[in-house]
Amino acid sequence: MISLKDVKKILIIGAGGGLAKLTASLIAQKYPDICIHGVDPRDTDFLVKKDNIKYQRMKYTRGNFERLFREKSFDMVLHLGRLSHAQSDQASLSKRLDLNLMGTSKILELCLKQQVKKVLIMSTYHVYGALHDNPVFIPEDYPLKASIKYPELRDVVEMDQIATNWMWKNQNQIETIVLRPCSIIGPQIKNTMSQYLTTPYVPVPVDFNPMFQFIHEFDMAKVIIKCLDRVPTGIFNVAPDEVISLRDAKDHLKVPYMPVPIFILEQAAKIVKMAWSFPDYFINYIKYSCIIDNSELKKHIGEDFCRFGPKETLELLKLD
Amino acid sequence: MLDKLAGIFTLSENEKKKFRKIEEALLERYPIGEDPWGLNVNKARKSLKKIYPIYKHYFKVRVFGKENVEDKPYMVTSNHTGQIAIDGMLLSTAFVMDVFPPRILRPMVERFFTALPFIAPWAAEGGSVLGDRTNALNLLKKGQSVMVFPEGVKGIAKSTPDYYKMKPFTRGFYRMCAATGTEILPIAIVGAEEFFPYVYHPRMIQKALGLPALPLSLNYFPLPSPVDIYIGKPIKIPEGLDQDSPDKDIDEQVFQIEKVIKDLVDEGLKNRRPFFANQTGPKK
Repeated sequence: MISLKDVKKILIIGAGGGLAKLTASLIAQKYPDICIHGVDPRDTDFLVKKDNIKYQRMKYTRGNFERLFREKSFDMVLHLGRLSHAQSDQASLSKRLDLNLMGTSKILELCLKQQVKKVLIMSTYHVYGALHDNPVFIPEDYPLKASIKYPELRDVVEMDQIATNWMWKNQNQIETIVLRPCSIIGPQIKNTMSQYLTTPYVPVPVDFNPMFQFIHEFDMAKVIIKCLDRVPTGIFNVAPDEVISLRDAKDHLKVPYMPVPIFILEQAAKIVKMAWSFPDYFINYIKYSCIIDNSELKKHIGEDFCRFGPKETLELLKLD
Repeated sequence: MLDKLAGIFTLSENEKKKFRKIEEALLERYPIGEDPWGLNVNKARKSLKKIYPIYKHYFKVRVFGKENVEDKPYMVTSNHTGQIAIDGMLLSTAFVMDVFPPRILRPMVERFFTALPFIAPWAAEGGSVLGDRTNALNLLKKGQSVMVFPEGVKGIAKSTPDYYKMKPFTRGFYRMCAATGTEILPIAIVGAEEFFPYVYHPRMIQKALGLPALPLSLNYFPLPSPVDIYIGKPIKIPEGLDQDSPDKDIDEQVFQIEKVIKDLVDEGLKNRRPFFANQTGPKK
């Protein structure tokens, strides 16, 4: 198995994201000899550049991306560039299909062609779907049911399936890790969940109170590094052991909220959606729990891989 | 009259003292906060405070066979009666208030139940979980006792002539016990059928409407029928049986458990207290 000690060059895709920046900094600090190359279709000028970290703005489906692979011969590739599904309008959907599906296929094809030794792909726990009959501790081989109720999540599920199918097909040539983390929150992460938790007066269901697993961005970055070092090919859920209910999380943050029955929220979402994009799949995630099983990952990186519990993670979110 | 009614919802000094002791024991046994299934000991304690007077003074629950329960996880397996799962609530209360050491049972509920607003989160805070094999196995492995009604909805939703006639048990619960080596604690609940003494289930209409049950009753508020809970001796899983054993071998064991519970029900029917809905009290 290849580890970070054996590599010289790493490519981080989606390097403009909060988690990618944190991961790049941690790797650069621990392994000063590794050269990190970050790419992102977003503006990368504002990113802090270190001696061994370089950034480049580019799309993953263009010819110059292929050239980058050819010229640099990367040892490891971290695909952290999944486009968020926080917006649900048609324009965003086609952009997501292009980047998440076509982009991922292109990245994996290039990794194989250029003989990359290890690939890490960041998926999400959203692929399992938030359904009332979800068992607690969903294992990695559980059916991916997210797109059954909300077709807008189909790119998320399909991207995961592209990655996992490719992983098993090429397991003898390339080490591949697919991670499905729970909600990652932290001051640098601007995802739907972080915004929902910190925004005052957002509606919170009064008739449901789902359980959540939250992982702090710093813990998640450390998990990625441990995975690169000692985890073999496979799919792994990433979540801490401790859980917290939605209302407790809100109370802990001391952010005022509006208690609203879920059926009113569902109807209101339809009206709101006419005026501006609203991720209505999210309503199910604040209605039913989607608790994932972390036992597979623990077999490789040990029991205590999270420094922060849910309450501490929320405390740190308040510091933003 | 009003005093009598108020008495149902209040506890005597001795009962209050007992409740406080149990509260302390629960807080010592269970961690503060929530577990991944939604159990919240603090909220469960508050619900119990409201349920216990009803358990004690309205349904006048008696528990027999407490000495059969040790401090270890069990698959608590009971007959199911009474149209709605009040029997499950009373059994859960019995294992907190009348069985030592007190423990919160984890009742396995039907899939439709977890989608019910208000009720589903309230029940989850008190310990209930979705009736799923993964959930049961994870809970047993964590040393918790799981409560099952292997008759399912068919067992609870019976018309008056079928009262106390047990429906065949499913085998899922036994396979989970075989997988974890958990002992089965047989339970009989007597008195719950009389909560709703006259019920008719129009099966054709129920099926056409796609409902799990459609009870037509003279009363839709449970009558104060006295309830007796009988706890049998724990049943071990015989050597050589595991979760993948053939249906035939599992069925033999499940049939034995069914028989043990049936005998406990019959014993309970002979000794039940008089109540107008069971006409004479003890069954002749």
